[in-house]
Amino acid sequence: MKAHDVVIHEADATRIDAVLQRFLGDSSSAAALLIDRSGQPLAETGTARTLDIGSIGALAAAAFSSTAALAQLLGESEFSVLFHEGVRESMHVSTVDEQTILLAIFDERTTIGMVRLFAREASRAIGVILEETRKRPKRVGALAAPLTADEARRASDHRPA
Amino acid sequence: MSIINYAAKVINFKVVYYGPGLAGKTANLQYIHRCLPETNKGKMVSLATGDDRTLFFDFLPVSALGVRGFTTRFQLYTVPGQTHYNMTRKLVLRGVDGVVFVADSQWARLRENVESLRNLDENLKEYGLALAGMPYVVQYNKRDLGPVAPLDYLEYLLNRGARRVPSFEAVAVDGTGVFDTLNTVSRMILVKEFGQAEEAARESS
Repeated sequence: MKAHDVVIHEADATRIDAVLQRFLGDSSSAAALLIDRSGQPLAETGTARTLDIGSIGALAAAAFSSTAALAQLLGESEFSVLFHEGVRESMHVSTVDEQTILLAIFDERTTIGMVRLFAREASRAIGVILEETRKRPKRVGALAAPLTADEARRASDHRPA
Repeated sequence: MSIINYAAKVINFKVVYYGPGLAGKTANLQYIHRCLPETNKGKMVSLATGDDRTLFFDFLPVSALGVRGFTTRFQLYTVPGQTHYNMTRKLVLRGVDGVVFVADSQWARLRENVESLRNLDENLKEYGLALAGMPYVVQYNKRDLGPVAPLDYLEYLLNRGARRVPSFEAVAVDGTGVFDTLNTVSRMILVKEFGQAEEAARESS
C-alpha cells in the first residue's frame, strides 16, 4: 500500500474546484475539503469563515484511518463513510479513492442524505481527475531544475524567534 | 509522499518523529512550537491521554522560507511510543517523507530504543518503504540525564546501517539539538525531492 506523490497542476485544481463548487450547490453544504489520507489538505472550497485546514486535515485523516483499521478488525475492507453530528454543524467524511477522502461540513439547511448522495457523485468526478493528475509530470516550470545549495538551505532553515 | 500544488503554490511534506515511549518526541515539537515565530507555524494539536502520554499523535505544521515562489510546509507528527500502540504508529507513518528517530540516551532505555527502531523498520515495510531509502536522522535525547550511554556506543547500536545518517545530541526540553535535527531532516527531504545542482552540492559539501 505504497502512497503515491500527489501533484496538482493549475488546470486540475480548477477542475477539482468546479466539482467541489457544484457539490456545495447541490448538497447545500457549507464547506468541502479534499484531503490526502496522510493528512494533508489538497483542496478546499466554501469556507466562509476561517477554518484551520491543516489541523482539520490531520485529524480527519486520522479519524478515517483509525476507522478503517477498526473495520478491518471486523472483517470489512473499510467503512467508507464517517459521520459526526454536532449541535449546529455536522461533518461527513467519505472515500474518494485509495488515497483521498472528501470532507463536507454542513448545517440544518440540508440533510445527511443529501450530503451523502452528492458526495458520492462528487467523489466519482474527483477520482477521475486525480487519476489523471497521477500521470502528469511532477516537476515542471519553476520546479524543474534541481535546487541550489542556497535554495535548499533557505527552504529548510527553521529558526527560533 | 510529497504533495505539490501548482495552483496554490504550496509543497507539503510529512515528517514523523519516531522512538520509544518517553524519549522526548513530543518535547521536540513543543519546543519548536514555543520558539518559532507565529508566521512560520500553525496550531499544535496533541491527542494525549489524561497523564500527557501521546495517545495517537501530536501534529505541528511549520514552514521556512519558500522555494521559487512556492511555500514549503513541513507537517510534523509524533507517534505514541508505548509498545501496545503499534496500530496507531503505523497509521501515522502513512505518506511519510522523512523520519527523525528520537532515542533516549539513558543506559536503562537502550533496549527500548533498539526495539523501537526495529518496529519502525517493520512498519515502514508495510508501506513499501525502507529507512535506507528515505531522509532520516537520529537524535540522541536526554543527554542531560544520567547515567547516559556514550555517543559512540549509541551510534554502534542505532546508526550503523549501510548508510549512516546524521545524528545529533539533544536535550529537547531546553531546545539543545532540536532545530539542528529539524533543519537537517527538512533539508534532506528537499534534496531528495528536487535534487541538488551538482556544482552547488560540491560547494556545500
